[in-house]
Amino acid sequence: MGAKILIIDDETAIRKLLRVTLEAHGYSTEEAATAENGILKASMTRPDLIILDLGLPDMDGTQALLKIREWATVPIVVLTVREDEGGKVFALDHGADDYITKPFSMSELMARIRVALRHSVHQVDEPVLSVGPITIDLPRRIVERDGEVVKLSPIEYELLKVLAVNAGRVLTHRQLLEQVWGEQYYHSAGNYLRVYIGHLRKKIEDDPTRPKIITTEPGVGYRLNSPG
Amino acid sequence: MEQSPAQRKWRVLSSYVTPWPLTKTTIGKAGDDPHPLVPYVAATLMVAVLTGVFWKLGYAFTPVNIALLYLLPVLVTAVRWGLWPSFYAAGIGVVCFDLFSIPPLLTFTVNDARYLISFGVYLAVAAFTASLASQLKERYSEARQREAVTSALFTLSTQVAAATNLRSVLQEIVRQARETFGFSTSILLPDSSDNLRVEAKSGFDNAGAGELIEPQILQWVYTHGKIAGYGTRAYKETSLLYVPLKTESRIHGVMCIAVVPVGKGASSVQMHVIEALASLAAVSVARVHLEEEAKLAQLTAESERLRTALLDSISHELRTPLATIMGAVTGIKESAGLLTVEAEQELLQTIEDGAHRMNRLVTNLLGMVRLESGMLRLNRKWSDISDMIGVALRQVQDSLQNRPVQVKLQDHLPAISVDDVLIEQVLANVLNNAVKYSPPGSPILLEVLEYDGEVTIRVRDWGIGIQADDADKIFDKFYRSPLSQSIPGTGLGLAICKGIIQAHGGDIFARAADDKGTVVTIRLPVGDASVD
Repeated sequence: MGAKILIIDDETAIRKLLRVTLEAHGYSTEEAATAENGILKASMTRPDLIILDLGLPDMDGTQALLKIREWATVPIVVLTVREDEGGKVFALDHGADDYITKPFSMSELMARIRVALRHSVHQVDEPVLSVGPITIDLPRRIVERDGEVVKLSPIEYELLKVLAVNAGRVLTHRQLLEQVWGEQYYHSAGNYLRVYIGHLRKKIEDDPTRPKIITTEPGVGYRLNSPG
Repeated sequence: MEQSPAQRKWRVLSSYVTPWPLTKTTIGKAGDDPHPLVPYVAATLMVAVLTGVFWKLGYAFTPVNIALLYLLPVLVTAVRWGLWPSFYAAGIGVVCFDLFSIPPLLTFTVNDARYLISFGVYLAVAAFTASLASQLKERYSEARQREAVTSALFTLSTQVAAATNLRSVLQEIVRQARETFGFSTSILLPDSSDNLRVEAKSGFDNAGAGELIEPQILQWVYTHGKIAGYGTRAYKETSLLYVPLKTESRIHGVMCIAVVPVGKGASSVQMHVIEALASLAAVSVARVHLEEEAKLAQLTAESERLRTALLDSISHELRTPLATIMGAVTGIKESAGLLTVEAEQELLQTIEDGAHRMNRLVTNLLGMVRLESGMLRLNRKWSDISDMIGVALRQVQDSLQNRPVQVKLQDHLPAISVDDVLIEQVLANVLNNAVKYSPPGSPILLEVLEYDGEVTIRVRDWGIGIQADDADKIFDKFYRSPLSQSIPGTGLGLAICKGIIQAHGGDIFARAADDKGTVVTIRLPVGDASVD
């Protein structure tokens, strides 16, 4: 039996579509049409993952997210519309694990669900991370690309490490800044982030203008793509 | 169309406007100028009568009394006709006094030199009185003139305030300038490309105004906002006076005036009148401009609001079915081999439903566009109501699912002259609403009856109902009742229904049902024989 997924969306058609597809992939599903019912079901049925639409009729989806996060660490993937950058960033900064924009492709959603479930299952840090051609040896602080050592500055290394630990997940600007520079630099370091991401891409990407390893999520943040 | 409160206000005001007094007299000259010799003849006569009386009754008066009495004609002429006639009266008075009352009589010789002092005092007093009296008279006539000017301007300003059309306002101002104040006037306003054009003129010959006005001066006045022309500092050699129409914020145009020459330049009274007229014209122009701007701002705000509502609801309404279609299609691709036959059928069904939903939205949007742009043409033909209901029910059968729909038709319903495709769309929209706004499984009732050439179609549901305030608003474009926020929709359907029904000369309205739910009533005229 696969993981249990709670779908909170007011659109019957979307719920039905998600239920059918997820069940075909071996997940079991629960459904809720309102935020209130969703919060209730989240506590009653203890799902392994929640898909939460931010545009709910009875409550702002981000409020529902906060309420669930008060007591549950279950991974939450939010469904949003393209224009709602602020809502996405808010949700991600307040405990959502990832987001997906409507209209979405099912393979994309499946990939997000897999990443989110994987992170929730094994939280144990592995000493050596491997992402595509990049290998990060955490104890020795060595980064290799196709077997060759890449020279990184301390900040670049920290940035890559944070992204790699969360491989496959989107990280907002704020999350990156807090984890790399620390809380107090949050307001002043905004521009550095872009600069350091640029430096990192030059060192690890084949074509820094068309990045494949670290991709930009417009208006939201960055994502280190995990292969497969 | 409904009138704005401002327009209503003007209309009320206009009923108080007093008609303009049609006097042919003009202000600036004395009202009833006599022949210039009349005062002198009258003064002579008065002195002659007095002299005659003294001559006959000379013994009764001492020379002092006589001298004082000779002041009377001086006073009278001063008050009546002004300074010069009264000086004349004083002159002949002193001559007559000398001739007929001072010994030796009938000669200019004076025995007693002290009488010369009397003459001097008499003349001094006469001159002083005359000038005082004539000044008084001048003040009086000035005050009367001023009052006339003020009341004329007041009446004009009331009329100007009452009028809403700029051209007629300006025409009224120049007409009154001509008739009451005697100025030939023309008012020039900038057109869309900022060239000054004559908007109103009066008193100039037909050809006159255009030729007399010198564009160079006109432009100078318009740019600098300073008065110029005849009798002023700038361009004083021209024949016209150019007054800018100025309010605090800007210069609205120029008023050109042919001043009736009174000495050099315009008199101060005339200047005041001209300034008042110019500012009246300026205020009128400014008011009309402001009104236009306000109207424009309101329109912009309204269309901005509509655009936002349109974008919001359409982006949501289009994206949701699109998301289900895309999700289902990619789901089928992604899960090849994993899906059971039923699951695949279900996904295909969501694709179909999504496509239907998008089609409905597009149909409604196009309907709205056609209604708004006036492209809606009724293709009337005699149609059977039960037929149309059947088609509409088939259109909505997907969303009806297993709702019990009761259709009650009166016996012997007549054929009705309508555009059947559009009426079917209306019925489908109304039925869809009944389904959308009532709980699953609750019944829907459709009734049709005909009375006195009018067909009434009622659709009743047992759903969330409707609030009295919303009953009319739900037919407004993009309006969604607060009760229905959780139910997806664009707020277009009923607006289109209303447009279509009104185009048929019918009526559509919604009311809360007695116990629970909503009744939507459509009334359609059966159609007259002339329509076929």
